[in-house]
Amino acid sequence: MTAPDAHRAIDAVWKFESTKIIAGLTGVVRDVGLAEEFAQDALVAALEQWPRQGIPDNPGAWLMTTAKRRAIDHIRRNARLEDKQKEIARTLEQQGSDEHVDDDVLRLMFMSCHPVLPPESRTALTLRLLGGLTAGEIARAFLVSEQTVTQRIADAKRTLAEKRIPFELPPRPELADRLASVLEVVYLIFNEGYAATSGDDLMRPTLCLEALRLGRLLADLAPRQAEVHGLVALMELHASRSAARTGPSGEPVQLHEQNRGRWDQLLVRRGFAAMLRAREIGDPPGPYVLQAAIAVHHAQAKSAEDTDWPRIAALYGALVRQMPSPVVQLNRAIALGMAHGPQVGLDVVDQLVRDPALKNYHLLSGVRGDLLARLGRHDEATREFERAASLTHNAAERAFLRRRAAAGAPPRVEATLGQATREFLAREDLDPETVRSYGQTLRRLCLDLGPKTPLVDITAGDVLRVFAVAWGTAAPKTWNRHRAAVRSFRTWASVDDLSAELARKPESRTRRAPIALPQLETLCEQSDTALREQTLWWLLYESTVSAKTALSLDIEDLDLPRRHGQFTRGSESHRLSWQSGTAVLLPRLVEGRCRGPLFLADRRPAPSRMPRSADLCPDTGRGRLSYERAEYLFKRATKRLDPSGAGYTLHQLSRSGPRREDP
Amino acid sequence: MRFLMTSTGKQSTDEALYIEMGKFMEELTSSGVLLATGGMDLGTTLFEAVDGTVTVTDGPFAEAREVVGGFALIEVRSKEEAVELTRRFFKIIGDGEGRMHRILD
Repeated sequence: MTAPDAHRAIDAVWKFESTKIIAGLTGVVRDVGLAEEFAQDALVAALEQWPRQGIPDNPGAWLMTTAKRRAIDHIRRNARLEDKQKEIARTLEQQGSDEHVDDDVLRLMFMSCHPVLPPESRTALTLRLLGGLTAGEIARAFLVSEQTVTQRIADAKRTLAEKRIPFELPPRPELADRLASVLEVVYLIFNEGYAATSGDDLMRPTLCLEALRLGRLLADLAPRQAEVHGLVALMELHASRSAARTGPSGEPVQLHEQNRGRWDQLLVRRGFAAMLRAREIGDPPGPYVLQAAIAVHHAQAKSAEDTDWPRIAALYGALVRQMPSPVVQLNRAIALGMAHGPQVGLDVVDQLVRDPALKNYHLLSGVRGDLLARLGRHDEATREFERAASLTHNAAERAFLRRRAAAGAPPRVEATLGQATREFLAREDLDPETVRSYGQTLRRLCLDLGPKTPLVDITAGDVLRVFAVAWGTAAPKTWNRHRAAVRSFRTWASVDDLSAELARKPESRTRRAPIALPQLETLCEQSDTALREQTLWWLLYESTVSAKTALSLDIEDLDLPRRHGQFTRGSESHRLSWQSGTAVLLPRLVEGRCRGPLFLADRRPAPSRMPRSADLCPDTGRGRLSYERAEYLFKRATKRLDPSGAGYTLHQLSRSGPRREDP
Repeated sequence: MRFLMTSTGKQSTDEALYIEMGKFMEELTSSGVLLATGGMDLGTTLFEAVDGTVTVTDGPFAEAREVVGGFALIEVRSKEEAVELTRRFFKIIGDGEGRMHRILD
């Protein structure tokens, strides 16, 4: 190994290990500056010895041992040996491999993001201590001089020491504020990378990746905080669009024009998973969870036309109430403009123009220009785009805005289905519920017929084909609702009668037929029906509780001999009871178990998708059976019985029970 | 940057190895380094396209002493980090062989 190679290899080890070493040492010496010095000493020792002797088997342990030895030497050398320091030296000598290192890392995070530090020091110190970045790397990422970063870090450490900031997890009353400060630092780092405020490149991926790492680390250390998962979800989902956000020459590509095929599905999935974890915690959504929910809606839309703008506008409305910042208001205006037409968006933007906080904010002009252009007010739009271009510090963005300013009025093109749909849904005389309902119909038409298809080319036959596939088997009421949407659309667009071939279906008031007892018996007698399914189905039938309730039951909730159990809904406790069908199966299902979820999944969950401990069987490690899986199995088993061939639902089953008919 | 790693090695029944491997995987998954991973059948199918004709040849091409295979897709800051992780991986599984390809973006 040549020396530069060895140095790069050591740097890789250092980036994996330095946080734990610094955190562990700070836990003992209680001074983050000193701890970092000792850790640095260990790094210097590694740089001297490893190129000659090779990298040790356990490089992390080697670095930790060396750093501790330096710390002990330092304390011993100190002439004025106080009792406390003697004690620290003893602790260091006795300490084996530290199991509390995770807590120490979390303490370190709270410390480096402490509100006594100015924001730029917090980000620099956090990247240094928790990302293992050198001052040079941080300087390059933030486009400032290395000396500035070194100075910021040194000042930060001095401030922490002078103000005697304790190395501890914040006490309860402070926790929310302190956590908010940590999340803010992580998000600041991410945003600096994602929407670079200056420089020639639109993005600095290094910073995004560092922020993602910090977020994931935090989610691991503080898993019960919904906002942490919300922030991770938000960052994963934004990062998933990285490749699609810039065009071939580095110019920005707006969300609705991005090639969604280039969104990184791995990151999208990670984002969804983080969002699910946030929701499972069940706290009322905070600002990061709300922003993540908006990102989720974008990620779920198959195309820009498919975006559920009314829902996104509503989420921004909720976000504005929690974070009444003009920037959030501006984003709400964009969403409103998409959901209910450019004029609605412009009305909100025009109020923001008076806000002095936004006087130099280029996006305000950019958004206003966009809304004006959509309203056909091209001269005013051009002025706004020019203003935006002169306000931005980002070269790629400036070029983009200049081009939009130069474009002026776009050439008039023949209306496409997608455009007509957007304009139709943007009408101001429709209430949100109607827009939502019509939107479902028209988005399906756009999806199947293509949003770029000229409106005049679409025939009543095309519409019938779409309807037959999409809603042919749906309830008559659903069919008629979609039919009404098409009729309204074609009147508005003054085109041929697109609903001509759609017959209105008679609506009956009866629910789907209940499942009869003999059918259930036949199902359970089939040889391939597992004991778990038999038990669940009988329980739903006999107790008439919902499938969700049944799946949430724990073994502790059941009294088998008395044939009843209890469950909580909201804050109330409810009872359920069952009869002989369930009673013969239940003891077999719980055999050998006395706690944990009653209905278990077949396999143990993967480490990356570990549910909360309440949803795990403490004995077998298997997770709780999910509703989706249970529903799928029931539908599959009942396909042959259902005349429509779709299979029955668990909802139907629990409404078929004896007590509903014979109260 | 992302790397695709593949590895082959001997089958092991050592319980301690599984536990250590599980811990390693869990740590990498939660920190976001490990994006995807799985086992791999070593029976390889080779495709060759020459002048528009595709020839399919079923393997195995690996040596018989290597009986298990696996792959991992990881995201790291540098090639050196990928190398360091691979070193740790082989420290756990013992003798074997691996390949690493950088995924271009």
